[in-house]
Amino acid sequence: MALIGEWIRRLGYLLRRRAHEDDLRREMEAHRALLEDSRAFGNTLRLRDEARDAWGWTWLDDFAQDTRFALRTLRRSPGFTLTAVVTLALGIGVNIGMFSLVNGLLLRPLYERPDEVVGVYSRSTSPPGEFRGVSYQNYVDLREGTTDIFATLAASSTVFAGLDVGEGAKRTLASGVTANYFQVFGLPLALGRPFTAEEEWLGADIRVAIISYPLWEQRGADPGMLGRLVRINGEQFAVVGVAREGFTGTGIPGPEVWLPLGAHDSFRTTGVSAGRPFGGRDEHELTVVGRLRAGTSSETVAAALATVGRRLEQAFPAVNAGYTLEMSAPWRLMFIPGPGSGAVTASIALLLMIMPAIVLLVACLNLVDLLLAREQVRRQEMAIRSSLGGGRGRLIRQLLTEGLLLALAGGAVGLFLSRWATTALLASVRPVLPVAVSLPDLGLDWRVLAGTVGFSLAATLVFGAWPAWAATGRAVVTDLKRHVGEDGHRPRGVRIGNALVIGQVALSLLLLSSGGLFLMSAISAATADPGFRLDGGLLVEVDPSLAGYDEARGRQSQLALVDRLRTVPGVEAVTIGSGFPFTSFGDSRSVAPAGAADAQSRSVGAVFSVIGRDYARVLGLPMLGGRDFSDAELASGSLERVAIVDDALAEGLWPGEGALGRLIQFTDEEGPGVGQPIRVVGIVPAVKHSLGNPRPFPHVYVPLGQHYESAMTLQLRVVDQEAERAMLATVARVIRSVDERVPVLRVETWRDHLDAGLDVWLYRAGARVFSAFGGIALLLAVIGVYGVKSYVVSRRTREFGIRIATGAHPRALLWQVLREGGRITAVGIGIGLLLALGAGQLLQGFLYGVDRVEPVVLVTAPLVLLASSLLASYLPARRATKVDPTVALRSE
Amino acid sequence: MPPRADLLPGTLDVLVLKAVSLGPLHGYGVLLRIEQMTHGALLVEQGALYPALFRLEQQGMLGTEWGVSDNNRRAKFYRLTAAGRRRLKEDTASWNRLAGAMAAALQTRAGEV
Repeated sequence: MALIGEWIRRLGYLLRRRAHEDDLRREMEAHRALLEDSRAFGNTLRLRDEARDAWGWTWLDDFAQDTRFALRTLRRSPGFTLTAVVTLALGIGVNIGMFSLVNGLLLRPLYERPDEVVGVYSRSTSPPGEFRGVSYQNYVDLREGTTDIFATLAASSTVFAGLDVGEGAKRTLASGVTANYFQVFGLPLALGRPFTAEEEWLGADIRVAIISYPLWEQRGADPGMLGRLVRINGEQFAVVGVAREGFTGTGIPGPEVWLPLGAHDSFRTTGVSAGRPFGGRDEHELTVVGRLRAGTSSETVAAALATVGRRLEQAFPAVNAGYTLEMSAPWRLMFIPGPGSGAVTASIALLLMIMPAIVLLVACLNLVDLLLAREQVRRQEMAIRSSLGGGRGRLIRQLLTEGLLLALAGGAVGLFLSRWATTALLASVRPVLPVAVSLPDLGLDWRVLAGTVGFSLAATLVFGAWPAWAATGRAVVTDLKRHVGEDGHRPRGVRIGNALVIGQVALSLLLLSSGGLFLMSAISAATADPGFRLDGGLLVEVDPSLAGYDEARGRQSQLALVDRLRTVPGVEAVTIGSGFPFTSFGDSRSVAPAGAADAQSRSVGAVFSVIGRDYARVLGLPMLGGRDFSDAELASGSLERVAIVDDALAEGLWPGEGALGRLIQFTDEEGPGVGQPIRVVGIVPAVKHSLGNPRPFPHVYVPLGQHYESAMTLQLRVVDQEAERAMLATVARVIRSVDERVPVLRVETWRDHLDAGLDVWLYRAGARVFSAFGGIALLLAVIGVYGVKSYVVSRRTREFGIRIATGAHPRALLWQVLREGGRITAVGIGIGLLLALGAGQLLQGFLYGVDRVEPVVLVTAPLVLLASSLLASYLPARRATKVDPTVALRSE
Repeated sequence: MPPRADLLPGTLDVLVLKAVSLGPLHGYGVLLRIEQMTHGALLVEQGALYPALFRLEQQGMLGTEWGVSDNNRRAKFYRLTAAGRRRLKEDTASWNRLAGAMAAALQTRAGEV
């Protein structure tokens, strides 16, 4: 209470302070008039200041005064101000850019009152720790059993689906949701209505859809979108709503379309439950998310969930035994059935922020350098002010205010730069993603603005504190007697400058060499030998299920395409397969020798592909043994199960013994045919499946007839390798002429396929970001070297003048300055190399095809630095040789 | 004139409150009243009074109004507020305790403890 009263008084004073000041002055004058000796009153100005202190607003006055003064000073030295602001803009800008990314991906809440929104997970108790989804029936029981703790409890199941809004189908993420799903997040739709309870009922099959805001925007943000028909996996769905801008559900990336769970069987065509009617108690594919009633404690929730979990176990032991229900914050980076972890989130954020922080540190070292040089010029000013009674604290505050203004200006410019950079980064992600998704909003919000101010404040303290301390604590009298610029030899200042440059060079080298490692990774990833011949290869990705075709029709469509493409002139050979190397999605199996007692422990993980005729031939793989699949095996319903394996798998199963003719089994297969022996009829060489594997990954191939996969890639080998690109259009046209409804997801050359893949993109992005950061740090370091060398040369003008006058050759002076520049750079490089080796160790897991000690990088980066630094020293050095002795000697 | 003593830190506030408690005063009047009350034994620097007055006003111990002084000049008059009266009482009590304790301590002779 008293505190509030105090502030009201203070505020009153602030509003009427002119009047208060006048009062104070008049009152003191009246008093002085009454005295016989008015001098006895004391210093009225000082006393008035003291009295004002009592009002509690002095700091604000001081701050305003400091700001005005700082603005004036900075305006007087535009060169310094510009250099400082640009330096800080670069340093702070990269931090804001990265922070926007961290904010969008990890921090910014995706919905209203996020602390009330929790995920409910089904966790196995024996063995403990394994998470699975929740079946619809379990979800309904859970919802009904917890109405007192959850205001809303919703469920969703996210799948890949073909979406056609009139421009041909593309693969996208679709989410089947309960009717109350949108209610959980407290974010009403931008347009239209949510789903109804009737639409949620299983088997209702009411085909309605809610589309994402970006999708609606791409379609011209047309309000007439409601009621429009879109095709999902070939079936028509009516649009009834548009989700709110930025809405992605619980996670990132979000789906592009939401559908009622009741229509599940119409859009679910892939995955474990494809083809089976949805809703069985054993179909654990839902992710459950709910909003707690206000004020519910987590203990209450845990207890209630455990109770429901036990009840479900007792009522349906066949499917629920050994599983309990748990609550946790929804995991926002993926739609996986398990909960996320705050610690993981924090460590990702921290990792991402380390790099830009180093750049900012380099920028700050530059500022320290600039400020120390400037301090020399301002020593007289400081001396005068302190002799007039300016306390050290007050002077430091003044200097820090100046620094803060610079940092805030740099932050503002940096904010602008970072907007541009993050937009560019986001735009470069979209084309390489294998599916269309809703990406998070990286826009401005209060966190980014607060981050900008925070980075500016932190930078001010880092670069400002020490120079301000150094500038103010010095013998006043000696400084007063000095002339500006006169300084004799000040080895301390030079030593500090050199130390700063060494630090900058070392940190720049750290960033540059990290960038170099990523660059090398990107290069070796792009030129990696995939294990098969790339030239003249074309790839077509199709998925008849996206047109709503069932297995029979899908097979027919796939084979028709293969047959038709074989007849296209210029095409040498055509084959078909699931999971072409370097595609993002791949199926896998655990393979073990058939009939082995220890099958589980002997099993080897292998990429599982269904292939058609000539697969090995089209990829340019020789048969190392055995034969290709026969026509009978490729046709559906053949007798014996057969497979072709690669030598990597053969070696894994029977080291040194050969696998041809032996029997294998898949130990993780479900459904009919499980554990059936499969005869190995052919051996092919191994190919790489993704760049992440340093060695070729084992593969097992089964014939088309024995397994149906709707998502397939057609592989073509063209006769004229030079014209492979020209063939793309022809192939696309031919496919459309065969079956218009089957969406063609991708037509590209194998080389482009590898280049445009997510793998290569990641290394490229790493190279780009690290190189950008390294480049900025290099630029800053060069500016630093230039600054220090210029300073040294200007300090020693007289010395150089005398030496020239006494006959020193200008070239000798040039060499001397260059040598000094080279020496500190060399020390910086030495330290930087140690840092770079450490960083290589840390980064090793993210690199591809390069060693953590990469000689090319460890030689090139220092050379670049040394050259830049010598160039930066050269300009001041040349100035040293141009010193006119007569001028130099007169000048001081 | 008796020898003068410098003020102990913190004593000016309570002296000002006491002076004003005897009737509203302007700044110069406060000084004169303190001199009268202490029989000129305490030295108050003329100007140092004002920061103290402002501090007390700020704390709500003193109220102010403009009036006319004895020599017909406009002057700001200070009076004690209810809060000021409470503070004066508390401060007086604590001063008396301190002064008593100090006196007792300083009069102690050997053998008494």
